[in-house]
Amino acid sequence: MLLKIENLTKRFGGVLAVNDVTLSIAEDEIVGLIGPNGAGKTTVMNLISGYYKVDSGRIEFKGIDIQNARPSTVCRLGISRTFQIPRPFPDLTALANVGVGVLCGKERPDKSYGDSLLDASHFLEFVGLFSKRNVLAKDLSLFELRLLELARALATTPKLIMLDEVMAGLNPGEASRAIKLVRKVVEEYRVTVFWIEHVMKVVMEATERVIVLHYGKNIASGPPKEIVNNPEIIEIYLGEKIA
Amino acid sequence: MRLEHKRSRLVFHVKNLKLEWAIEPRYWRNPLIAVAGLFLLPLLIYSRPDYMTLLTTANIYAAIAIPLSWQMAGTGRLNFGPQFFVGIGGFTAALLSIHWGWGPWQTLGIVILTAACFGILISPLTVLAQGLYFSLITLVLPLIFLEITFVFADVFKGEAGLSGVINLINLGKIRITFLAACYISLVLMIIYLFIVDKIMRSRIGLYAAAINDDEVVAETCGLKIGRWKMICFVITSMMIAVGGWFFAHYYGTFAGTTYLPLNFMIKILLIVLIGGRGEIYGSIVGAYFVAFLEQALTALGPVHHIIFPLILLAMLFVLPEGLYGIYRRHKYREYYPTMRVRKRSI
Repeated sequence: MLLKIENLTKRFGGVLAVNDVTLSIAEDEIVGLIGPNGAGKTTVMNLISGYYKVDSGRIEFKGIDIQNARPSTVCRLGISRTFQIPRPFPDLTALANVGVGVLCGKERPDKSYGDSLLDASHFLEFVGLFSKRNVLAKDLSLFELRLLELARALATTPKLIMLDEVMAGLNPGEASRAIKLVRKVVEEYRVTVFWIEHVMKVVMEATERVIVLHYGKNIASGPPKEIVNNPEIIEIYLGEKIA
Repeated sequence: MRLEHKRSRLVFHVKNLKLEWAIEPRYWRNPLIAVAGLFLLPLLIYSRPDYMTLLTTANIYAAIAIPLSWQMAGTGRLNFGPQFFVGIGGFTAALLSIHWGWGPWQTLGIVILTAACFGILISPLTVLAQGLYFSLITLVLPLIFLEITFVFADVFKGEAGLSGVINLINLGKIRITFLAACYISLVLMIIYLFIVDKIMRSRIGLYAAAINDDEVVAETCGLKIGRWKMICFVITSMMIAVGGWFFAHYYGTFAGTTYLPLNFMIKILLIVLIGGRGEIYGSIVGAYFVAFLEQALTALGPVHHIIFPLILLAMLFVLPEGLYGIYRRHKYREYYPTMRVRKRSI
């Protein structure tokens, strides 16, 4: 198991945001995480990446306990993430944005500034943003920002990459390009993907296993085909039968 | 022999030889020309010691503003109390010089060490205090220091200040001494310029830019922001303290009332903001501008205390990106940090 979460609980005041969640992700898997708004999906992601202190429970990555570790430590161990609302470094160029990921990610000795920018341009090329390398990040469009975030997340050489609603706000053409890109990422870099997504079509198409959260609890886990036919999940989340 | 001008170079043809001389097409960006100009300037006003003092002050203002603009980017916070470290540097130098008779080059090491100690003591604030709180704390620190100079007046000589500090340099003739001091300040400024410029173009500069833009994301990318912010704060504090050391030895006196109150802070901050935030070359332009404007307005009499800040504030509204911003407005590719005061958020 690459990532193991046991009895994870997080409270914000009186709100039980994540309630006793237990899940695990194997290597080279594409796992989707779905659930209604406010179900605690992003909170789980923030707990894994170290932004929130865990109230109770444990998170284990490659056999190492990472609950309450600093976000930078978590990143250097090999977990990187993207944000729901893209958060680039707005005043840096696209190349420098990815360069930060290359320089700060996994420690590689003897890496000069120039070398890292060369590496960064490789990642930009991979997501198809090389022509925009000198554009400031604040001037990029939403889709380009998502690509940039993906490139930056890849640049830290992760084992596990957590995508937070990549598809939100994309048109169908862009969405299909994004799915293809995530597939390509998995093929080329052999990363495990943990993917929060609202668009059921994408979840059906791209993921191998789906975990459902509801009021901070994981209520089901299985292949997407089974999940969408589960009457309980249809009732609480999907609303109608999809496939 | 023939001389030919091609787009970006001069070509000399001497018999069969062809010699090329590349012209920096954007000559106003060539720092060597500007530095050469700065070195020539004191020679031109050799006969006017008052102008020489003005130049020296401007150089030291720039030498304080250059590290400060790095600090503002590298810690992602607005430091409202750079004069705290000017005070520390100045008082350390003055006290050592008066009581133990140390010369300027002996006190320099101790000044840097003292500033480093205080910097290390205060640096955790860059991690703990967010946004406005950091600015407030740094705003209050020099005022507390000022109070201390009054309370322990037997040590710091409160209102009158310490006098009898050994002079920076003494070459017999007064004009040559002034000239030498001016060149020392200029060299200090250019060393700072060189160091900070190199740093801002290296990976540390990229880290600084990332921290200034978004700390949270920088940490997600694996950057140990706490460490880099503290390193940046300590180094810049040491550099700023040397400014105080220079003032103490240059004037031979050092008074808390001159450097610690808010009007000195406002001057330094406006130099950074007018020159262009996070733009080290702009700091020099800003420092010379502010120093000369201040001098020019003294002719107006006591009113200049009001007019000076008013003009500067008006400039901040008209030119929010500073003097350098006029030129940089269309320069698109280079990093131009925006100052933000923000809370930490996910």
